[in-house]
Amino acid sequence: MALASRKTVSYGLRYLILALAAFIMVYPFLYMVSTSFKSRSLALGDPTRLWPTDPTLDNYRQVLGTENFVRYFLNSAGVAVVSTALIVLLSSMMAYAFARLEFPGKRTLFTLIIVGLTIPTMMLIIPQFLLARDLHLLNSLPGLVPFYVGTALAFNTFLLSGFFQQIPRELDEAMMIDGAGPWRRFWDLAMPLSKPAVGTVIIFSFLGTWDEFAWALTVLNDVDKRTLPIAIALFQGQHSTSWGLVFAASLIAIVPVLIVYILFQRNFVAGLTTGALKQ
Amino acid sequence: MSTPPSLAAPPRTAGSGSRRPRQNLAVAGRRRAILAAYSFVLPGFVLYALVMLYPAVQTLLLSFREWSIAPGKPSPWVGLDNYIQAFSDPVFVDSLVNSAAYTAFTVPLQMLIGLGLAVLLDSKLPGRVAFRVLFYLPVVTSWVVVSLLFQYIFSSGDGLANNVVVHMLGISSENVSWFQERWTGMFAIAILGVWKGIGWSMLIFLAALTAVPEALKEAAQLDGANAFQRFWHVSMPAIRSALSVVFILLFIGGFNVFISVLLMTGGGPGNATQVPLTYMYQQAFKFLNFGYGSAISFTLTLIVLAASALQYSWSRRKLAD
Amino acid sequence: MNHWKSGVAVTAALASLTLAACSSSSPVATSVTSSGAVSNELTGTVTYWHAYSADSPEVSTLEGTIIPAFEKLHPGVTVKDVPIPYDELHQKLITAAAGEQLPDLVRADIGWVPELANLGVLEPLSTSMPDFQTYADQVYPGTLATNKWKGTYYGLPLDTNTRVLLYDASLFDKVGIAVPTTVDELMAAGPALKEAGAYAFADNGAGGWNMLPWIWSAGGDITDADVTKATGYLNSAESVKGIQNLVDMYNAGYMPDIILGDSGGLQTSDGLATDKYATILDGPWMYPIFAGQYPDFTVSSSQVPAGPGGSVSVVGGEDIVMTQSSTNKDAAMEFMRYLLSEESQLAMAQVGQMPVLSNLGPQLTSINAYYAQFVEQLQTAKPRPPTPAWSQIDSIMQDEIRSAMRGDKTVQEALDEAASQSDALLAQFN
Repeated sequence: MALASRKTVSYGLRYLILALAAFIMVYPFLYMVSTSFKSRSLALGDPTRLWPTDPTLDNYRQVLGTENFVRYFLNSAGVAVVSTALIVLLSSMMAYAFARLEFPGKRTLFTLIIVGLTIPTMMLIIPQFLLARDLHLLNSLPGLVPFYVGTALAFNTFLLSGFFQQIPRELDEAMMIDGAGPWRRFWDLAMPLSKPAVGTVIIFSFLGTWDEFAWALTVLNDVDKRTLPIAIALFQGQHSTSWGLVFAASLIAIVPVLIVYILFQRNFVAGLTTGALKQ
Repeated sequence: MSTPPSLAAPPRTAGSGSRRPRQNLAVAGRRRAILAAYSFVLPGFVLYALVMLYPAVQTLLLSFREWSIAPGKPSPWVGLDNYIQAFSDPVFVDSLVNSAAYTAFTVPLQMLIGLGLAVLLDSKLPGRVAFRVLFYLPVVTSWVVVSLLFQYIFSSGDGLANNVVVHMLGISSENVSWFQERWTGMFAIAILGVWKGIGWSMLIFLAALTAVPEALKEAAQLDGANAFQRFWHVSMPAIRSALSVVFILLFIGGFNVFISVLLMTGGGPGNATQVPLTYMYQQAFKFLNFGYGSAISFTLTLIVLAASALQYSWSRRKLAD
Repeated sequence: MNHWKSGVAVTAALASLTLAACSSSSPVATSVTSSGAVSNELTGTVTYWHAYSADSPEVSTLEGTIIPAFEKLHPGVTVKDVPIPYDELHQKLITAAAGEQLPDLVRADIGWVPELANLGVLEPLSTSMPDFQTYADQVYPGTLATNKWKGTYYGLPLDTNTRVLLYDASLFDKVGIAVPTTVDELMAAGPALKEAGAYAFADNGAGGWNMLPWIWSAGGDITDADVTKATGYLNSAESVKGIQNLVDMYNAGYMPDIILGDSGGLQTSDGLATDKYATILDGPWMYPIFAGQYPDFTVSSSQVPAGPGGSVSVVGGEDIVMTQSSTNKDAAMEFMRYLLSEESQLAMAQVGQMPVLSNLGPQLTSINAYYAQFVEQLQTAKPRPPTPAWSQIDSIMQDEIRSAMRGDKTVQEALDEAASQSDALLAQFN
């Protein structure tokens, strides 16, 4: 009984902390939701008043009625899905090699990966633009993919190699005795055991490529090739911005990101490694 | 891309040892293993080298020139002038200090709170998926939106921050003009950084905590360890690698803080809250001093790289202990 | 693309109606139609970058009225307009210039024209456009000057604006004083307004856009006429006096802190509408914002408070420029001409873009009554010095004047420093 009541207290305390934290974390989001239902929103209203006085769906109607909005959504989705798939594949392969395999030049290549983490990409935009031009990748949606993948590899490789290092070496050795080569150990051991880490990479990569703005804006010219973040930024004017529209569009854009998040955080199930160890 | 010369060495030894079949087999096996390793690394690395390293080298070369954007216009070689200018430029030096302060403030808080939330949400708490989503919302909320909102919170009038400082805590007797001064402005920006980054580190820690064997925790519980002891002795060792990864990524990210400063203060007032990247952006894309902007960018890269390398080798050594 | 074309088809009827109405009422339109007839053989695509926001009436007028009407005049030409977010247009232009990927035409902020001209990517219109002078003669001189770089004009003004004094009439009624017409009256109004809990004047920074009206109205200047030297101009006794007036007002508590660049302070428009600020300087775009956001507030306007130099404001707006890399210069030039025609300019005036054709001034009040003060102010308004170094000079001025406001330096010391730094920058471009 004492145990049960202690458990209740600890549950209650946890919920209290979580609820308080959740309120602080979610408030700006709620404000965004509330503003998206306001009709007059050239300047932002009082942030302490969350409930709009005359809630309206006009902003959503106007956003969805904008020429090409659905197309921009699909453009972004296509680029983000293909890029994410390639990022996950290539960075997990690289991370596995850095974490588990031996080869000459490993230290040099890994150092170069860390260098890439620290270089501000904004400064690379002109050389990258010239490169894209020479490779005939300007003004093309598929042309975004190599740049999205290439610039995301350093971060995700670094992240994943940390996780791959945590896989108990004994498991690797056991498979090697069974004659498993590196590819089999990668697909049948490292990847399944790192489901949470791979899920994290998918979540971050999808968010990163879905939200990317500066590069897409720089290389895309044709209006019908644009991605969603460009369309949203275009709702911001030089002198005044209809924030209700911007927020409504941003909220629509968040939906796929949240779906990806909810789908892949399910990979975070405690005891994955435990199961493997027991086998 | 850059195949190290050492790669050529093993095959040659293989050829010379052809008279001893067993060793030959071992050498062939090692060669196969190395080739397999390259097949893991190279597809990604080649692409990475093409779209990141190659442009980075070009940008590095720009930093030794007074570079003119327009093709065909002269871009005189100026050697290290841009770097010398950077270190004698008080705005750049102050911007480095600002980003260091930002990093020192945001990294520990993001790690502590992110880890705390991850631990709370790792257990089989009913409704944890909902909380996981709620805590992740700041990560996906657009920077434009949250920057505007934080300007409200830290407004010099009766905003939320002033309410806390004047009425709840009583630290100050009158309203603070947060964005008027360097450190109060940096503080506001750093609070935004923490708020927006917690969900990010929480996610990585959550992923890492799933690797902690449940059986070990149960065993510790049976031994009478309390929740904190269980966490410290069972979970912590298992997520040490993730801790060091998150630390380094946050550290690099802290020095590279950009968009929040640009949107909240633009580096102002009077360069007071300038950070290296906003200053670089201003020099390069506003004043068209691309050579100088590149020099700023590489000076920052060098500093951050040196610090990260130190931390990385230090954490490796600790892991090896 | 398809969608866009169908949009063109839908609006064609409407456009031709507008055209008919315009050409019957205005004599210039016939000349445009005739010049259109001469160059009917024009073909190809003209790409035009601009920064009208997506939900704006400007973009619907451009895409729904102006471009269809032009394409009707020149059936062989397709105008492809590309809206680009304002904050990123400059970055995109610079990158495209580096990669030789610029479009045919750009609606550029007036401050960018000397910079782009200096990069060598703009077509020198005053030498390559045969009828350049015809258009140059029709526009406000202050707007034309923004296109000049080293004696050559690289663009034509497209739309303009300026800052006038916006004030809260009810506040002045309440306090019982007249709306100030001079700097001295504004300063004299300080104490009474302060007593009523309001600042006499508010502005949100100390850059050129903010400070130039006060310097010019005091009889000061920034550089010599050829934009080669700031010393003797930016730090002249008149310029110092213009800034000193503001510093005195700030020190006396007649101006709020946001002048120092506090991004968390009460913004000028919000302060004006809520009786906190009695006057601000701002542009015509504020009217729709006030109407939308503060429907109960009536904003009033008058000329910039005058000083010894008169009432001189600063010219804002955009120019239209053609790139040297354009492969379809004849058609692009013809579209430029059309954008400067009375019907285009009036169509854009309907949606808040002030025309640059000076003869349209009197008609504007029938479109929007509030244009009146801006038209009057534009007669004397001056552009910021047209130099590629302007953005840096602007930043220096901002920092130096800020230190004078904070009392770190005297105004004279601050402007001496700003002038000598500006000299060095100007020297780079001569």
